[in-house]
Amino acid sequence: MTARLFRGLAWAATLGATAALFFLGDAYALRIGMTLAMFIALASGWNIIGGMAGYPSFATAGFFGLGAYAGALTQLRGVPMPLAWIVAAGVAAIVALAVGWIVLRLRGHYFAIASLAVMMVLRELATNWTMLTGGGMGLNLPVLQLGIIAQARLFFAAQAGLAIIAVIISALVASSGLGFALRCIRQNETAAGMLGLDARRAKSIAFAISAALAGAAGAIYASAISYIDPTDVFDLLNTVQPIIMAMLGGVGTVAGPVIGAALFVVLEQSIWTNFLSVHAALLGALVVALALFLPQGMLGQLHRRKVKP
Amino acid sequence: MVGISRRTLLSATLATPMIARTARAQGAVLRIGAPLPLTGGLAPEGLKQKHGYEIWADTVNKQGGIKVGNGMAKVELIYADYESNTARAVQATERMISQDKVSAVLGAYGSGAVKASSSVTERYKVPMLAPNASAKEVYDQGYKFLFGTEASNDALTVPLAKFMQAHLPSLKTMVILSRNDLFPLALGRNMEAAAKQAGIDVASFQSYAVGAMDHASALTEMAAAKPQWVFVTGYTNDLILVRRQMAELKFSAPIITMLTGPSYKEFSDALGPLAEGITAVSWWEASVPYHGIPPFPTAREYNDAYIARYGTAPDYGEASSTACCIALQAAAEKAGSLDPLALRDALASLDVMSFYGRLKFGPSGQIVVQALPLFQLQGGKRVILAPEDIRQGELKILS
Repeated sequence: MTARLFRGLAWAATLGATAALFFLGDAYALRIGMTLAMFIALASGWNIIGGMAGYPSFATAGFFGLGAYAGALTQLRGVPMPLAWIVAAGVAAIVALAVGWIVLRLRGHYFAIASLAVMMVLRELATNWTMLTGGGMGLNLPVLQLGIIAQARLFFAAQAGLAIIAVIISALVASSGLGFALRCIRQNETAAGMLGLDARRAKSIAFAISAALAGAAGAIYASAISYIDPTDVFDLLNTVQPIIMAMLGGVGTVAGPVIGAALFVVLEQSIWTNFLSVHAALLGALVVALALFLPQGMLGQLHRRKVKP
Repeated sequence: MVGISRRTLLSATLATPMIARTARAQGAVLRIGAPLPLTGGLAPEGLKQKHGYEIWADTVNKQGGIKVGNGMAKVELIYADYESNTARAVQATERMISQDKVSAVLGAYGSGAVKASSSVTERYKVPMLAPNASAKEVYDQGYKFLFGTEASNDALTVPLAKFMQAHLPSLKTMVILSRNDLFPLALGRNMEAAAKQAGIDVASFQSYAVGAMDHASALTEMAAAKPQWVFVTGYTNDLILVRRQMAELKFSAPIITMLTGPSYKEFSDALGPLAEGITAVSWWEASVPYHGIPPFPTAREYNDAYIARYGTAPDYGEASSTACCIALQAAAEKAGSLDPLALRDALASLDVMSFYGRLKFGPSGQIVVQALPLFQLQGGKRVILAPEDIRQGELKILS
């Protein structure tokens, strides 16, 4: 009971902090909040396919970039911004379903490599389909005629809203039949199949949800930054960082990616702000240390404490 | 959503350097933000920018600062490493304006990052001076706070086509290989347009992906056209690779032009004899004849001061970075104020001479066109072929 109460309080406090940041934060704090929210959405999305189903997807940056381009291109054709974000999520989900039909036949390392290839193919498409995407010259998005704070709040609210949706979806998936199926797949896919579980369907849905969240995050990012080019939005860091975050917090759990993303962004920001030349090495060392001493993530560590008094 | 301890931690970490900075800031200080790619793919270029800024700031401060109104103001550069990542460059720019309260920002490296981060300076109404963004497309959004000291690509390609035509009468066909990235691709396109305008046939226009390691198929196709002129755009490492693979494929042409590697010592060091005869255009050379405002009145003096400090000769990357600082200095002296809006207006109407050339910005914010030095690598040295007043040698035709 106390654990549930504590959990409820923690979620309430997180939402409270979000609201406080929205009303009280300056533009720069809102920008960091926006980055954090974006990573929560990406890490939670990755966690559904990578954590719950145990399929190590490296395609996050691919769907992020796809969403950024889909959102930008629809917006440039006169579609209102929020609708463009939804379209972007839909495009990413549909592409994930189509691609997943093929790559989800692979497992383990083979799947990881194939998903990485998905990202690279999408990047090549964006780079070379110059007629549509502008190729390496990138795309300009409409610049909003809004005040600094109003704009910062708008995009913070959008990413935070997406992060909240991502967490709710994670919770729903985890407690539903789909979540059960994904956990079965992670433990033993062959056995799950023999017991009559439609593994292909479950994996595909998980992959599509994960892609939709990444796609929406990419589209909001594109609107916020107002200029995109292929190297920026198909950045491998957007694949790797959400995985690190989910692992830091606790893979396969609902709260893990949130905790991990918050921890990572706070560490990264404070190190980046204060150390001009050695920040990359420091951050790397910290991540290695965390992985060594908290192999189960922060949540795993908490649970272990509880079990062994 | 936000972690509970995030805000406290964040404000604590942001506050520490802020306090240190305020304590130092006794008297008037012109505070300038400089996001640099100190790590990642653009690290060598980032270091060039940093040197270009630093040498100006230290020289000016040693002389007591710059004259603003009735007093003198010291200059202070605030650096951040944006890790060669555009989103980071945008974030760093916003941090410098909102947290460090800078009066102006020096632009990131390369056209893409400058274009993305200029939306921040525009919103905050703080001038941005970009030393290394020459693509016209960077300045096409009607921004009022963005200024660039590299002349547009047209200024480079149109005279280049004319020069080559005049010096190689048999020039009929050329091929272009471009890196598919904002600046190199725009430059390739400009070259194509300039060639067509001059009546040169562009038999093949190819582009390669960022990070491409093999150009054999593109080069083979180009070789089939038997061009008299091969024009390649990209950055130093790309161009070294292309030149090597051309040699492996025994593909040559009377003229080989590469942009922007040959300006750098690294390029000729890595290629050795293969660098011989390559032509290029630069935005600045130590031999340009301009005479302008202190602290570096002439290119020669700038070159010497730079060598004395860093041990190597500067190229246009450093010179353009220093030129941005000098433009800012002239604007502050003219405006008599360190207010970003006053600086912006002074920059927009600025017209002064410097070691780098005329510092006057056009309506789009990009510097007005001046004759750019065209050179050829001869015997491991850059020999200037044009413009006439600084010519050091004649074009040597490759076989």
